[in-house]
Amino acid sequence: MSESVPSQSAIEAERLRRAEEAGEDYEIGLVSLSQWQLAWRKFRGHRLALVGLAIIATLVILALVGPIFFPYDFATIPVPDKIVYEGRSPSLDHLFGETGGLQRDVFRLVVNGARTSLFIGFSSMFIGVTIGTIVGSVAGYLGGFVDNLLMRIVDVMLSLPLLFVILVASRFFGNGSVVLIVVIFGLFSWMGVSRLVRSQFLSIREREFVEAARAVGVRDRRIIFRHILPNAISPIVVAASLIVAGNIIGEAFVSFLGFGVSPMTPTWGNILSNALTFIPLGNWWWPMFPGVAIILTVLAVNFIGDGLRDALDPRSRA
Amino acid sequence: MIKYIVRRVIQAIPVLFGITIVVYAILLAAPGGPTAKFAQNPRITLEMKEDFKRAWGLDQPVPVQYCRWMGFCNKLVDDKVLGILPAPAAFIGPDGWLNAFPASLSGATNGVLHGDFGFSIATGELVNRSISRAALPTLILAGTALFVWLVVAILMGVYAAIHRYSLFDQAATVFAYVGYAMPTFWLGIMLIFLFSGPGLNILPAGGMTETRVSPPFGSDDYWVYFGANTLDAILDIGKHLILPVITLVVVNIAGDSRYVRASMLEALGQDYVRTAKAKGLPGRTVTFKHALRNAMLPVVTNIGLEIPFLFTGAIVTETIYSWPGIGRLTILSVNNFDYPVLMGVLLISATIVVLANLLADVAYAVVDPRITF
Repeated sequence: MSESVPSQSAIEAERLRRAEEAGEDYEIGLVSLSQWQLAWRKFRGHRLALVGLAIIATLVILALVGPIFFPYDFATIPVPDKIVYEGRSPSLDHLFGETGGLQRDVFRLVVNGARTSLFIGFSSMFIGVTIGTIVGSVAGYLGGFVDNLLMRIVDVMLSLPLLFVILVASRFFGNGSVVLIVVIFGLFSWMGVSRLVRSQFLSIREREFVEAARAVGVRDRRIIFRHILPNAISPIVVAASLIVAGNIIGEAFVSFLGFGVSPMTPTWGNILSNALTFIPLGNWWWPMFPGVAIILTVLAVNFIGDGLRDALDPRSRA
Repeated sequence: MIKYIVRRVIQAIPVLFGITIVVYAILLAAPGGPTAKFAQNPRITLEMKEDFKRAWGLDQPVPVQYCRWMGFCNKLVDDKVLGILPAPAAFIGPDGWLNAFPASLSGATNGVLHGDFGFSIATGELVNRSISRAALPTLILAGTALFVWLVVAILMGVYAAIHRYSLFDQAATVFAYVGYAMPTFWLGIMLIFLFSGPGLNILPAGGMTETRVSPPFGSDDYWVYFGANTLDAILDIGKHLILPVITLVVVNIAGDSRYVRASMLEALGQDYVRTAKAKGLPGRTVTFKHALRNAMLPVVTNIGLEIPFLFTGAIVTETIYSWPGIGRLTILSVNNFDYPVLMGVLLISATIVVLANLLADVAYAVVDPRITF
């Protein structure tokens, strides 16, 4: 065995110690962290947020990989070894039990449902956040008439009972396709973000660095997207996490009522909707697991949101 | 104060007006429409469909339909400009004044401005009647829910704040997190499994009254029955209310009990609470008179903003428990593309949102004497 080589930092420490003893001047090296590294360091300290991140990561992996091992096809009807109309409760063969009627595997349904539900939650959030950011930036930066007009539109949209309108829109325009549901949810989830972004812009656009940028002749579009927006990003990120949670519940709600994604594509809401007709038979495991999946997802996203809020808030540096 | 309320109401009018335009556009831009239900029926000919559309005024361009629905336009005048907009002549009512004027002047009775929401396309009934019949069950459900929600949320929040970090407080925290993440309809299904499934059948799974005993709620027979067996009838409704109310309030209680707790903790840390304690006032007085009153300020606003959620929650709760209210009426109308009923329900619920916001602001001023308008 060779002698262990002293590490770089140990050598450095030794050098500093000798320099101090000799009464020399010396420099202290400071490791500077970027804003994102700082945020990550604080996020790591938030235990629940880490749990949330783990849950979401597991669910996303399950949603991506699961359907490869447990493919679901609406037309394929399982052949159970014993026909039980109300389905069978959880067992080793069927971890989450079997549905009533066709005796489909509930685990398989939940895994495939995760793919659709998470996809809808995240992609509608992207649409909503993009629209909200653009509307909020334009309103906050330009101010005046444009601001007034856009904010009145937001007022009107916020006064609508949103789920009700989404319900109507899904029924009237939807044909059961996932993409349409994503677009509908995206189009109705930007108002909160636009208000947030606008208020951020109102305060940031008065700051010196924006004035400086304007003084050197930077164009409006560049000021909005390169100078102001990066400084307004943290509340947007937090709001985005809440939109994901809201839209996953919202999609389940709409599909549950039968106006959302076509019953042939499993989503958590669809599975629950089918389970409703079998309530008198007492097969609790059928609605139980998709519901738990929804709760876990929303909980996890909310925890992550809390963690992000603490981590990105510049006033509470760790 | 009154000046402020009046100003807010006047400000609300353009917002409500905007809402009607947005929703009307969404509804009428949709493919299918009220004639979609005839698509599978071989006995309905194309001519019959056209007749149906003409009879309901659905053959008119959307702006004309909207104008008539609002009551700005005369139903009997078909003149148009540019093919899609109502002609100036259409704005004149039967008696010569503007159609939008009160019926005593214009002779017109159609449209929202005259309090007429039209007829339901699906049932042919007056929309006003459908809605008013469904309103009472929803008011009973939502009213009970609101009461339970406020009482439980405030008591839970205050108790958790006083006994901070106790077992109760921690249990309440867990409940708040899970309750907030729980979809209403899932809770509804699971409650039915628990309390009216094959295992423990102690509560009714749906409906508003015991149908084997009482006539359907709202019918004339029912009120005769109600007069004869008042106590039984009330108990019966109460029993049917338990599960829907729990379903409806859990999410709100979860959120608001945390809110009350946080607000209460802040109030308890204030100097005036210490002063009150130092004066030797009993703990209960300090908690409820000094701290709670101040802690309620942000809570009142928050609750006002949340009241509209009772309405959305009612849609799903009423569907699960077949409660004969506005929520179920909504689902039925969505299914049938019943525009007039949907517009009526939507306008009413949007008005509730606006009024709830206003109420929250006014309540804020009542609770906080420092605020004057």
